[in-house]
Amino acid sequence: MRPFTYVPAPTREDALAAATTNPQAKYLGGGTNLLDLMKEDVERPTHVIEVADLPYAEVTRDTDGGYTIGAMLSNSATANHPEIRKNYPLLSMTMLAAATAQIRNMATNGGNLLQRTRCPYFYETSMPCNKREPGSGCGALNGMNATHAIFGWSEHCVATHPSDMSAALAALDASVTVQQPGGGTRTLSITDFYRLPGDQPEKDTNLEAGELITAIHLPAPVFADHYYYLKIRERSSYAFALVSVAAGLQIENGTITRAGLAMGRVAHMPWKLSRAEAYLVGKEPTAAHFEQAAELEMREARTLSQNEYKVPMGQRAIVRALTQAYNREA
Amino acid sequence: MERGRGRGKEAYVMKKQITSGTGAAISRVEGRLKVTGMAKYAAEFPVKNRVYAQGINSTVAKGKIVSIDTSEALAQPGVIKVITHENALDLQGHDKEMPAIGTSSPMAVLQSPEVHYYGQYIGLVVAETLEQAQYACRLIQVDYAQETAVTDFEAGRYKAYVPDEASDYTRGDVDSGLASADEQLEMTYITPIEHHHPMELHSAIASWTDGKVEVYASQQMVENSVTTIAKTFRIPESDVRVIAPFVGGGFGSKLQTERHVMLAIMAAKLIERPVQLTVTRTQMFTNTTLRQRNEQKFRIAARKDGTLTALVHETLSHTSTYEQYQEQCGTPTKMLYASPNARVTHRLMPLNLQTPFAMRAPGEATGSFALECAMDEMAWRLGMDPVDFRIANDTQTDPSNGKPFSSRLLTECLRIGADKFGWDQRPAKPNSREEGNWLVGYGVAGAARAAPYKTSSARVLLEVTGGEVYATVQTGATDIGTGTYTIVAQTAAEYLGIPVERITVELGDSDFPDSPGSGGSWGAASFANGTRAACLQAIEQLKQKAGITATDVSIERLLLDNELTRYTAEGTAEPTEEFEQHSVYSFGANFAEVWVDRDTGMFRIKRMVNVGSAGQILNPKTAYGQIIGGLTMGAGMAIAERTKVEPNFGNFITRSFADYHVPVNLDMAEIEVIFLPEEDKIANAMGVKGIGELGITSVAASIANAIFNATGKRFRELPITPETVIMKEREPGVV
Repeated sequence: MRPFTYVPAPTREDALAAATTNPQAKYLGGGTNLLDLMKEDVERPTHVIEVADLPYAEVTRDTDGGYTIGAMLSNSATANHPEIRKNYPLLSMTMLAAATAQIRNMATNGGNLLQRTRCPYFYETSMPCNKREPGSGCGALNGMNATHAIFGWSEHCVATHPSDMSAALAALDASVTVQQPGGGTRTLSITDFYRLPGDQPEKDTNLEAGELITAIHLPAPVFADHYYYLKIRERSSYAFALVSVAAGLQIENGTITRAGLAMGRVAHMPWKLSRAEAYLVGKEPTAAHFEQAAELEMREARTLSQNEYKVPMGQRAIVRALTQAYNREA
Repeated sequence: MERGRGRGKEAYVMKKQITSGTGAAISRVEGRLKVTGMAKYAAEFPVKNRVYAQGINSTVAKGKIVSIDTSEALAQPGVIKVITHENALDLQGHDKEMPAIGTSSPMAVLQSPEVHYYGQYIGLVVAETLEQAQYACRLIQVDYAQETAVTDFEAGRYKAYVPDEASDYTRGDVDSGLASADEQLEMTYITPIEHHHPMELHSAIASWTDGKVEVYASQQMVENSVTTIAKTFRIPESDVRVIAPFVGGGFGSKLQTERHVMLAIMAAKLIERPVQLTVTRTQMFTNTTLRQRNEQKFRIAARKDGTLTALVHETLSHTSTYEQYQEQCGTPTKMLYASPNARVTHRLMPLNLQTPFAMRAPGEATGSFALECAMDEMAWRLGMDPVDFRIANDTQTDPSNGKPFSSRLLTECLRIGADKFGWDQRPAKPNSREEGNWLVGYGVAGAARAAPYKTSSARVLLEVTGGEVYATVQTGATDIGTGTYTIVAQTAAEYLGIPVERITVELGDSDFPDSPGSGGSWGAASFANGTRAACLQAIEQLKQKAGITATDVSIERLLLDNELTRYTAEGTAEPTEEFEQHSVYSFGANFAEVWVDRDTGMFRIKRMVNVGSAGQILNPKTAYGQIIGGLTMGAGMAIAERTKVEPNFGNFITRSFADYHVPVNLDMAEIEVIFLPEEDKIANAMGVKGIGELGITSVAASIANAIFNATGKRFRELPITPETVIMKEREPGVV
C-alpha cells in the first residue's frame, strides 16, 4: 500500500474542508471496497478521511411519509431495521442478498452506492482500463467481458455497477442527499446520481469534488405486498450477480397501478426499466404481460463477445421476479 | 487384573483398557491448539531478528528483462535489499531442457532475465516490515523486450507432443472392440484450469546458521523439501532442516517446494538474517502450481446387454514452456471397468503459464469426470439403469495389469448407496420431474482411487511419570488438516495399550524419522503402520531385555521389569510383496440430487450420498471430514472453480476469492457419508486405505449426470454455471 495520511474522526465541516483542499483525498466508510482497492494499488488516495462516525446513521420518518436512511448506517442495520422491513421489504430483501453478513456489517449505505466496478481490467494495474487510467483503453471491450454491460455501454467502458442495493433504490425511485463543501445540500434521484460511462468512464457518479453523501431518501412506502429481488449468481451467497432484478408491484382490484423495476449488473449504473414499468401500469398481472414488459426492455440490449447469455437470462429474470412479486403473500 | 506368566517374575495380563485406539471417533487431539490459535503455522514462528520479503512478479507473459531499476525501492526506509537475476545467488537448475518434474526436483529462481509466464518471480524486496517490502515492490521499474506469448489452448494445440513420462496404454484390440459393439459414443470433456488454494498461504521463514539452513515452511513432504533445497543450493541434505508441524491445507500445491522457499533461503543467506516470505492470495494464482485445462476425448462402446467392448480416452493438456507435468486423466479408464479393449493416451502442449502439478486426485478427479459421464451417456443410450450398467462391468481383476484387487467393493458401494439414496425414485426419463419452478434429477458415479502405501518410520519415546506410562511419537509425517496427529495418537494408544490422552505426537520435522509426508492418499496407511511398527518394536525390545515371552503384557509392566523409566525405539513399516502383487484401491460411489430452475439457469445440489470402501477407518470423525471436504471440492469442481486466462495479456483475471469461486455453505447439500466395513490386510498390516482423494473423485460426474436427468442437457465442460445452463440445448432424443 502507498503511504497516506488518515483523519480518524473529523467533524462534518472538517471532513468537507479536508476533502476540498486535497483532490487526492477519499472518504472512508466501512472500508469494504476502498481498502481493498488501495491494497491492489487501484485507488491511491494520499489522504483518507474516516466518515463512518459522522451523525448520519439513523432511519427517520419524513413529513412526506417517506423515510430517510443515514448514509453511515451499516447495510445490515438498514436491512434489518423494523421500519425498513415493514415499509420497504424490497429494499431489505435486496440488501440481504448482497455480499456476506460480515461485509454487510461493515459496509455503509453511502459506501455501497459508491462501490466501484468489479471489472478485472479495473483491478489489474498492468492492464488497460479507462476507468482506472483514462486514455489507456478498455481491455474488456474485446477481452473478457462475460460479466459486463448489455445496456448503456460505450467503447470507452463496458463495466457494470456491482451494487444490489442500488437496483432496489432505482425500483423504489429513491434519491440521494449530498452535503456540498460550500455548506449547502442537494438531492439527486438515484438515476441522476449515477451516470453512463460515455467518454468519461473514470466518473462513476455525478458527485462533485468533496461532496459527501449523507442520506438516502425513500418516497412513501410502496410495494410492501408485492416485491421480489431475484439475484442470479454463480453460487448461493458471496457472489456478485450475473443479472439481478428488483421488482415491486402495486395491485388494486386485479390491476397493476404502479410498477417499480430495475436490473443490476447489466449497465454502468442500476438499470431502471421505465418502459416496462409504464407498460405494466393499468394491466392485469399476467404471464403474457410480464413477458411483454421484459421483451420491451431486453430488445434494447447490445451484447459483447461473451455476454450474450445475459439477454435470455435477463428476459427470464424479469418475468420471474415479477411473477414472484405478484405471487408473494404479504 | 489376572495373574499371567512371567519368567521368574510376576507379570500381569491387562484387561484391555479404554484407549481410544483406532476406530474410535474421538475429536482431534490437536483441536484445542487450533481453535485457540496455539498451533503454529509456518509464518507464525517467532524467529528472532527476522525481516520480511515480498516477491516481485512479471507483468508480461513472455519476454526478456532489459533493465530493472531498483534505486527508488532501495531508497525507501526499511528496505534492506532488492534481489533480481542480476545479483541472485547461482542456483542448481534442471539437468536438461523441459524435464518432467517431481516432488524433489530442484527449484532454481532468478537465474536469468527470461520471462516464461505472467506473474513469474523477477525479483524480491527484503525490508524490515512487510508493508515496507510491499510498497517498495511497487517502485521497481522494469523494462521488458516483450515477445509473443501463447497462453490459449487452441493456439497451442498444434504443438502437442508425447510427454517423456509413460503416457500411452493399450489393451486388447480397440478397433475390433468398437466394431463388435451395438452402440458407440464419442464425446469431448473439458475441465478448466483450477487452483489448489489451501486456506494457509504458502510461507517460509529461512535462517542460516553455521552454513546450515533451517526453514519453517508450509510443505506436505518435509523429506522431499530437504532434497529440493539441498539440490538447489548444492549443499548436503544433512545441512538442511525443514519444519512444518501444522500445514493449513495443501491439496497437492505443497508437495513441491516452490520457488518462494528458495527465495527466502537465498535472501537469508545474502543478508545474513532470517527472512520470512509469504505468498499473497493473488500470488497463489501465479507462484504456486495449478491444475491445467484438460481436453478429454472419449469413445465408449458397448453391446445391448450392457457389456463394454471398448474405451478410448485421449487427453490433451498443457504444461509450461520450461518443465513437463502431465496429469494422468486416463487412470480410471484403465482400471475401473472390465472392458477387454482400451486405449489411453496423454499429450502435452507448452503454454506460457506456470508448470502445473498434482491437485487433489490428479487423474481421478478429472479423468473420472470424463469416464463416469461417458458411462452415464452410454447407459442412457442403452436404456439401462446407470447403477446396473456399472455393476454389469465390475471386475475383481484389475483389467489394466491382470493383478487381483486386494479388495474391491464397488458393486456394494453402488448397491448400498442406491438403497440409502432412494435411487428407485429416480426420474426414469430426463426432463420429466417438476417441483414448482424446479426440474429434479438424480445422478450417480462410481469412484476408485489407488491406496498407495509407502515406507514410513516413527520413533516412540516412553516415559514413566507418576506410575503411568506416557508416550511421544515422532515422525516426519505431516498433518495438512487431515487428522494425522489424531490417528497417529490413536495408533500408538492401540498398540501400546495406554489411553490416547497419554500420547503426544510430534510431526513435520525433517530431523524426525523419515516418512513420505502427506500426499497421494498414502498418508494414513503409511503413518499409522510406521507408528505401529515403532510401538511393536518398543514392546518387542523391552520383552527381549526382560526375557518375557508372554503376549499381552502391559507396557507399564515391561518398563518396570526392565527397571526403566524411559525408553526409546524406532520402527519402520513398508509394503509387502503381497501388496506389490495386488492392485490396492479404495472404491466408492456418489449419488446426487440436483434441482435446476427451469428458467433462470440456477440450480441447487439438494443432497448427496457417498459410500466408500477404504479398509479400516482409523477415526470416523476425521474420515468423514476428509470425505465431506472431498465432496465439497468435487462440488466446487462441478459448479464453481475456474481460473480464467486473459487472451490478450496472458494473465489470470481470476485473482482473488471474489472471482475464483469455491462453494459456500449454502451451496452444499445435505450429505450422508457411509463407509463400508472392509478388511484388507493385503493393503497393509493395519488394513488402512487412503481417503484423502476418494471423496472428490466422481463428484462432478454425479452432479453433471443428475443435471442431465433433471433437464436433458449434457454438460461436458466444467464448471456448470447459470450461464451455461441457460445457453445449452437439450440432447437430441430428450423429450
